[in-house]
Amino acid sequence: MSMEDYDFLFKIVLIGNAGVGKTCLVRRFTQGLFPPGQGATIGVDFMIKTVEIKGEKVKLQIWDTAGQERFRSITQSYYRSANALILTYDISCEESFRCLPEWLREIEQYANSKVITVLVGNKIDLAEKREVSQQRAEEFAETQNMYYLETSAKESDNVEKLFLDLARRLISEARQNTLANSAASPLPGEGKSIGYLNCCNFN
Amino acid sequence: MEATVSSCKVVEGGGGSSRSRSQFSMQFISNLTDLQELEEVYGRLCAEQNDAESQLEMLVNQQSSIENKMTVLQRMGPNLQLIEGDAEQLSGMISFTCNLAENVSSKVRQLDLAKNRLYQAIQRADDILDLKFCMDGVQTALKNEDYEQAAAHIHRYLSLDKSVIELSRQGKEGSIIDANLNLLQDAEQRLKVIVAEKFSVATKEGDLPQVERFFKIFPLLGLHEEGLSKFSEYLCQQVANKAEENLLLALGTDLSDRRAAVIFADTLTLLFEGIARIVETHQPIVETFYGPGRLFTLIQHLQVECDRQVDKVVDKFIQQRGYHRKFQQVQNSMMRMSATDKIEPRELDPILAEVALMNARSELYLRFIKRRISSDFEVGDSMASEEVRQEHQKSLDNLLNHCLLSRTMQEVIGYYITMEEYFMRETVNKAVTMDTCEKGQLTSSMVDDVFYIVKKCIGRALSGSSIDCLCAMINHSTTVLESDFREVLCNKLRMGFPATTFQDFQRGVTSAVNIMHSSLQQGKFDTKGIESMDEAKLSFLVSLNNVEVCSENIMTLKKTLENDCTKLFSQGFGGEQAHAKIDSCLTDLASVSNKFRDLLQEGLGELNTTAVKPQVKPWINIFLSVSHNIEEEEFNDYEANDPWVQQFIINLEQLMAEFKTGLSPVIYDNLTSLMTSLIAIELEKVVLKSTFSRLGGLQFDKELRSLVAYLTTVTTWTIRDKFARLSQMATILNLERVTEILDYWGPNSGPLTWRLTPAEVRQVLALRMDFRSEDIKRLRL
Repeated sequence: MSMEDYDFLFKIVLIGNAGVGKTCLVRRFTQGLFPPGQGATIGVDFMIKTVEIKGEKVKLQIWDTAGQERFRSITQSYYRSANALILTYDISCEESFRCLPEWLREIEQYANSKVITVLVGNKIDLAEKREVSQQRAEEFAETQNMYYLETSAKESDNVEKLFLDLARRLISEARQNTLANSAASPLPGEGKSIGYLNCCNFN
Repeated sequence: MEATVSSCKVVEGGGGSSRSRSQFSMQFISNLTDLQELEEVYGRLCAEQNDAESQLEMLVNQQSSIENKMTVLQRMGPNLQLIEGDAEQLSGMISFTCNLAENVSSKVRQLDLAKNRLYQAIQRADDILDLKFCMDGVQTALKNEDYEQAAAHIHRYLSLDKSVIELSRQGKEGSIIDANLNLLQDAEQRLKVIVAEKFSVATKEGDLPQVERFFKIFPLLGLHEEGLSKFSEYLCQQVANKAEENLLLALGTDLSDRRAAVIFADTLTLLFEGIARIVETHQPIVETFYGPGRLFTLIQHLQVECDRQVDKVVDKFIQQRGYHRKFQQVQNSMMRMSATDKIEPRELDPILAEVALMNARSELYLRFIKRRISSDFEVGDSMASEEVRQEHQKSLDNLLNHCLLSRTMQEVIGYYITMEEYFMRETVNKAVTMDTCEKGQLTSSMVDDVFYIVKKCIGRALSGSSIDCLCAMINHSTTVLESDFREVLCNKLRMGFPATTFQDFQRGVTSAVNIMHSSLQQGKFDTKGIESMDEAKLSFLVSLNNVEVCSENIMTLKKTLENDCTKLFSQGFGGEQAHAKIDSCLTDLASVSNKFRDLLQEGLGELNTTAVKPQVKPWINIFLSVSHNIEEEEFNDYEANDPWVQQFIINLEQLMAEFKTGLSPVIYDNLTSLMTSLIAIELEKVVLKSTFSRLGGLQFDKELRSLVAYLTTVTTWTIRDKFARLSQMATILNLERVTEILDYWGPNSGPLTWRLTPAEVRQVLALRMDFRSEDIKRLRL
C-alpha cells in the first residue's frame, strides 16, 4: 500500500490564450490569492491542492501552462497524461474566444480520448466590458460536448465550484473505469490507457 | 428590690466612671430600713472595701517602679533639648547643600550649552572655511586639470549643510561669499561638462584608464545614474565590437573545422563570457565608487546590448542552419505521416545538439548575472525594508525572465522540443523496423536501440539545462514508450505462440534446433517476415524477454535521471518548483514500467495456455490408459518398464528445453511455476478418474515422487505446496485398510495439514477397488 494519504490523484491542465487568467484561477483556488500584476507564466507551473469530497481525499495536481505561442511545444507534452483539461478564455476578449477551435484541435491531437474538458469564461467581474455573451459560449460548449462555467478569479466567483465539480466528475469516471476493468480483464496488449492512479495501484 | 439596686447602679454609672467609689450612695443606705437589706448591702460594701484595699496595695507596690521611671525621664530632659538643636542644624545644612547643588548644576548646563554652541560655531566656521577652501580649491584644481581634486571639492560642497551656505551669505562678507558661491556653482557646472566631454573623448579613443578615471568622478558630482549609463554605453560598444568580430569569424568558419557544427553556440559562449568578464572586472569599481546595489543598473544596460547581439547571432543561426525550414519540414512530416519527403531524423541530430548547447550557455550566463546581482542587492539592502527587497527581487526576476535573450531561447527551445520529439519517434520507429535478434541473445536489438535513443534524447534535453524542456522530453519519452513502443511489443505478442499438437511436437523441436543451427551459421536471423511456425515461436519468446527488459530499463532510466537532476539542482539550476515538476514527470515515466510488467504477465499466461497446456494435458491423460488396478506381476513389470512417468518427464524436459534457452531466467522461472500448477491440477483430475489396487496406489506414490523430484530440480519455486493435495491422495491410496486413515486424521494428523476435505478423502478412498464402500461410509471423519 502507498504511504500517500489520498484516495485519488488527478492531473488537471489549464490551457488557453495568454492573459485570460489561468494563473490567477490556479492561485485563487490553491492559495486563495489574487496577485495583481501577474507576469506571464514561463513554461509550466505546478501546484497541488488536496480536497475532501464525501470523506475521500482527492489530490489535485494542477498544471498551469503558459499561453504564449513559444511555450506551446512544452505545454502540449502534458496533455496526454491529463485527466482533465480546463480550457480558459476571457469573456472581455473576443479574440480569446475565437481561438477556442484552435485549442480544441490541439486537444484532439495530443490529449487522450477519455480526457474531460471544461470550458471556462473568466473575468466576469469585467461585466461592462463583456464581448462574448454567455449564451454564445454555452451554445459553443454544447456543440463541443463541454461543460461550461463562468468564473471570476478576482471576485472568487465559481472558482471553488469549477475545481470541486471537476473533481467529483473525475471520481465518478474513475469509479466507472475500475468497474469496467474488473468486469472484463483487458486482453493482452489492451492495457488501461486511462492515466488515473489511485492509492492501490500507485507506487 | 433587685430592680431598685440595678436602677441605682445605672444612675451611678451615668454620673462617673471611678471604680473606687461604692455602688451604693449614702442616701440610699440611709433610706434602708429592712435589716436583711442592710446586711446585704453591708456585705457588699465589705467586699467593695476589700477590693479597694487590694487595689490600693497594688498601686503602692507599683510606686517604686514609677518613681524609677520618673527619675530616668527627668535625666533625659536635657538630652532632648540637645537633639532638637542638632536636628535644626542638620536641616539647615541640608537645605544649604541643596541650593548649592542646584546652583552648580545649572552652571554646568549653561556650560554644556555653551560648549555645544561653540562646537556648532566651530563646525560652521569649518564649513565656511571649507566652503572658501572649496571655492579656491576648485579654481586651482580646474586650472591644473586636477579633476579628481576639483570633484572632491565639489563633493565636499554638495555635502555641506545648505543652511551653512545661507548663513555665510548673511555674514558681513555676504556679497563676497555670494560671488564666490556663484563661482563655485559655475565650477560645478563646468566640471560636469568637462567630465562628460572628457569621458566621451576617452570612450571614443578607447582609453580605458581615462574612461575609468572619469567614471569614478561622476558619483562625486552626484551623477550616479549618468555615470553608470555612460560607462555602460562604453562597455556595450566594446561588447558590440567584439561580438560583431566574433560573428564574422564564425560565419567564415570552414566547414571542416572541428567546432563548425557548434559554431553559433560557441559564438554565443564568447559573447556571454565577454560580458561576464566585464562584470567581473568592473564590479569592484562600481561597488567602491558607486556603493552597493548599483550593479543591477550596470547589468541592465549591458543586457540590452547582450540581447541585441544574441538576436543577431540567433538570427544568423536560424538562417544558416535552416532552423525554421527544418522545423517546418518536421511539422509537415508529422502531419502527413507519409513516407515520402519526410525529413531524415539523422539530419536533425547536429542542429539539436547545437541548440542544447546554446541554451545551456544561456542558462549558465543568466545564472551568473542572477548570482551577481542578488549578492550585490543583498549587501545594499541589508538595512532596507522588506518591501524594497521584494521590489528589487521582482525587478531582477523581470530582467531575467523577460529579457530578449530569455525570450529568444524560449522560442528556439520551443522548436527544439518538437524536433527532438520527432527525432526520437522516428529513430525509435527505425530501430523497430531494423529489429534483429543475434543468436544466443534473449532480446532483440530494438530494445537496446530504443532505450539508447530515449536516453540520448532526454540526455540532450538535460544538457540544455532547461527544466521545462527536460520535463517535456520526459513526457514525450513516456508517450513513445507507453504508446508507440509498447504497442509494437503488444502486437508481436498478440500474434501468439503457435499452438503445437503432440504429434508435431517432435518435429517442432528438431526444426527449432535446426533453425538455431542455421542462425548460428548466419550469425543472426530475421524476425521480420514470420513465415515458419518456429520463427513465430522464437519471435514470441524474444518479445517476452523484450517486455521484461523494457520494464527494468525504464526503472533504471528513472533512477539515472533522478541522479542527474539532483546534480543539476545542486548547481543551482531550476526554480523552486523544478523539483516537483521533474518528480511528477518521472513518476509518470516509472508507471510505464508497471504496464510492461502487466504485459509480461499477460504474455506468459498466453504462452502457458497456448503452448504448454495443449501438450501437457495429453501427456497427463496417458495416465488414464495405464492401469493402476494391478497385481504383483504387473507391479514388477512396471518396475522394469516404466509405463508413464519417465516418458512424461522426458517430454516435459524437451518441452521446457525450448523455453529455457529462449527465455530469460526470470521469465522461465515464472513459466515453470505456471506449468507446475497446471500439472498439479490436471494430474489430480486424471487420478480421480482412475481406479487403484493396493499396489496401484504404491505405483502412483512412486510416480508422484519421481515427478516431484524432477520438477524440484527445474524450478527455484517451492513446488511441494502445489503438490500437497496429490501427495495426500497418494497417502490415502497407499493405505492397508480403510480405517488406517484414522491414524493420520484428526487428532492423529500430527504435523500434517490436510488439504483434502472429508468428502474428498472418501472420494479418494473409493478409488481403491479393494475398499468396501460400507467401510468408507462408516468412517467418522
